[in-house]
Amino acid sequence: MAFNYDQYLRVEKMPTLWCWGCGDGVILKAFIRAVEKLNISKDDMCVVSGIGCSGRFSSYVDFNTVHTTHGRTVAYATGIKLANPDKHVVCVAGDGDALAIGGNHTIHGCRRNIDITMIIINNFIYGLTNSQTSPTTPQGMWTVSQKAGNIDPTFNTCDLAIASGASFVARENVTSPKKLEKIIVQALEHKGFALVEALSNCHINLGRKNKMNSAMANLDWIDSITVSKKKYDAMSPEEQLNLLPTGILHQNKEVAEYCDMYAEIQKVHQGERKKITQDDFTKKI
Amino acid sequence: MAVMTAPENTPVWVDTVRCKACDICVDACPAGVLSMQAEPTSTLGAMISVIAPDSCIGCNECELSCPDFAIYVASKKEFKFAKLTGDAKARQEAIANNGFRLPTDYKEAN
Amino acid sequence: MSATREVISTGNELSAIAAVDAGCTFFGGYPLTPSSEVMHVISDLLPKVGGTAIQMEDEIAGICCVIGAAMGGARALTATSGPGVSLKAENLGLAQMAEVPLVLVNVMRGGPSTGLPTRVSQGDIKQASNPSHGDYRSITLCAGNLAECYTETVRAFNLADRFMQPVIVLLDETIGHMHGKAELPTVEAVKAGIVPRKTFDGAPEDYRPYECGPTEPATLNPMFKGYRYHFTGLHHDAMGFPTEEIETCRKLIQRLEDKVMAHQDEIELNEEFMMDDLTGEEGEVLIIAYGSVSLAAKEAIRHLRADGIKAGLFRPITIWPSPADKIKEHTSKIKNVLCVELNIRQYTEEIERASSRLDIEGLYKVNGRAISPYEIVNKVKEVF
Repeated sequence: MAFNYDQYLRVEKMPTLWCWGCGDGVILKAFIRAVEKLNISKDDMCVVSGIGCSGRFSSYVDFNTVHTTHGRTVAYATGIKLANPDKHVVCVAGDGDALAIGGNHTIHGCRRNIDITMIIINNFIYGLTNSQTSPTTPQGMWTVSQKAGNIDPTFNTCDLAIASGASFVARENVTSPKKLEKIIVQALEHKGFALVEALSNCHINLGRKNKMNSAMANLDWIDSITVSKKKYDAMSPEEQLNLLPTGILHQNKEVAEYCDMYAEIQKVHQGERKKITQDDFTKKI
Repeated sequence: MAVMTAPENTPVWVDTVRCKACDICVDACPAGVLSMQAEPTSTLGAMISVIAPDSCIGCNECELSCPDFAIYVASKKEFKFAKLTGDAKARQEAIANNGFRLPTDYKEAN
Repeated sequence: MSATREVISTGNELSAIAAVDAGCTFFGGYPLTPSSEVMHVISDLLPKVGGTAIQMEDEIAGICCVIGAAMGGARALTATSGPGVSLKAENLGLAQMAEVPLVLVNVMRGGPSTGLPTRVSQGDIKQASNPSHGDYRSITLCAGNLAECYTETVRAFNLADRFMQPVIVLLDETIGHMHGKAELPTVEAVKAGIVPRKTFDGAPEDYRPYECGPTEPATLNPMFKGYRYHFTGLHHDAMGFPTEEIETCRKLIQRLEDKVMAHQDEIELNEEFMMDDLTGEEGEVLIIAYGSVSLAAKEAIRHLRADGIKAGLFRPITIWPSPADKIKEHTSKIKNVLCVELNIRQYTEEIERASSRLDIEGLYKVNGRAISPYEIVNKVKEVF
């Protein structure tokens, strides 16, 4: 029953540099369990992380790992995947990395529907650099760059991903590690761009100045703003306003995957099929 | 299958090198099995301790909620877990209300 | 490479063809005038041979996907112009720091900023020396004619794999869009000359990608082959993991410098045009020019010599690191030195540094138009 995480860890790097109680470790464990469940070989897996606390994710796992510049995980991963389409490529990025500086690349990764799994660790703040506002920091909260109170409206990560064309979009909390593991399994199995928003607690940065001074208080807050998709769909708009649905929010297995489509391009140029035209697509605009 | 073998006759065990004393596992336990204890050499001055292993029901909440690979639970084949008792719940409540440390003067009901 | 073939093409197209001949299997980029044709041509060539070409959503994504592909072992190319290099700068720095090989073709246009998108300049010379922040040594080549658009791109790939870093190939709008005849080495010769990156084939547990001699590049096995390590832009240790340890950090930066500067002989390439009879006598003229300007300089030299002026051209083909020793040697011998560039003194300042002379004459043009042979002839007669 006790899971031997050490088999997948770079053990000499333990303990992690994350703060005591930081949910990033819970997400890391769920990810490892998911990889084990799917029997993915370590050599077939590449984890690409961004800049931030979540950026250290890649250095802890014994896979092929890349720690990129801020916001660019999807761009690097696109090159890695296109050049090695039969390998697993997973992006791990924080809310600032993926939605602020990296917003454009995230959107286009979704649009291309390239077979990459992206885990966005949303702790609602810029943690590593000490409490600046991120695109998901709730309005009115204290941040170090907006000490009079945050006026920036927030992104809904999953709505953004769905609108951008991702064919698998899900959200889960660190307070539900088994559900998170299950979602990551399904995301890894899904052929296409699979975006998982994992809500995490940053009680040291976000929490401390916003009345959530302990890990538990921060985790309770995350629990209070999330509800299962089933319950959410039955609610009125007023009830839905301050809640985020969890679970698989969108999945479409019929959307063409980008590497598969590029293989068709190769066939065109090698004379094995005629040119691709609008007739090859149901969606014509 | 990446499985760890439990030490002999042990329901739950901890790695005090990796534990950062975040209190989460103590909070997650329903049965008062775990408690923080004062530990002056540790960063937060505290360290996890398994104080009542016999009360462990094997729910695995501690292992799942620990972010630091610091606590592990045996399998049902390796240990005969207890059922959740009223005494265990009462102890847990006392621990949770005392900053996740078992009160020094705590008396078990039996 | 004695056998050759004649091809009629443009500079941009030749660069794309060269990349594929040199073993490139991945292109990532974004349209930017006047470089876009490199992407257009290679997007047809690569899928034909099982490679991949992708137009990304912006210049930054263009370089990132190329670095990603190169981490997986591919010979990877991107092509852009000045504004694109500015955007790519941060990630070029990561490729330098993590020692990832790639080739970047910069077809220079009028700058700064949006500048003159369809007109020529050589305004990115200084940028090529340090596109990104921090300490490292750029390797930058400059094609001076159509054939070099091909041969310098081939050389760039071999240099990138040899030194495990990005190599910049500078074209300019004139040469990129020039359509004419080029005498090229055969494809067989190019393929025979491919020197891929060094790899480690011992036991994975013995592999230390970033542990190497003080003047050597990292040995980076392609990902997914059983050798797992870490790429990062942070300072890192022998396995690529982040570290701030004092000696490790010092050694890494010094090695990034020394791995290039200790092996300049493998990188330096110059042309000395009509310099054989320049002995340092009164009245001799040394012109220093590179890229498309060198074509006008050569014509100017023919005119000058017809007018009785002994002139010669020193043309660096490897721009960075600069051929400082040769510059010093020639400028010590010849008194009259004229630097001709389509920018304001960008390489002249390097000539001054290398020669320890502050009396280098210059002919500079920054209005997006080419310098004609006559302008060079007249300048020589005016100042010397």
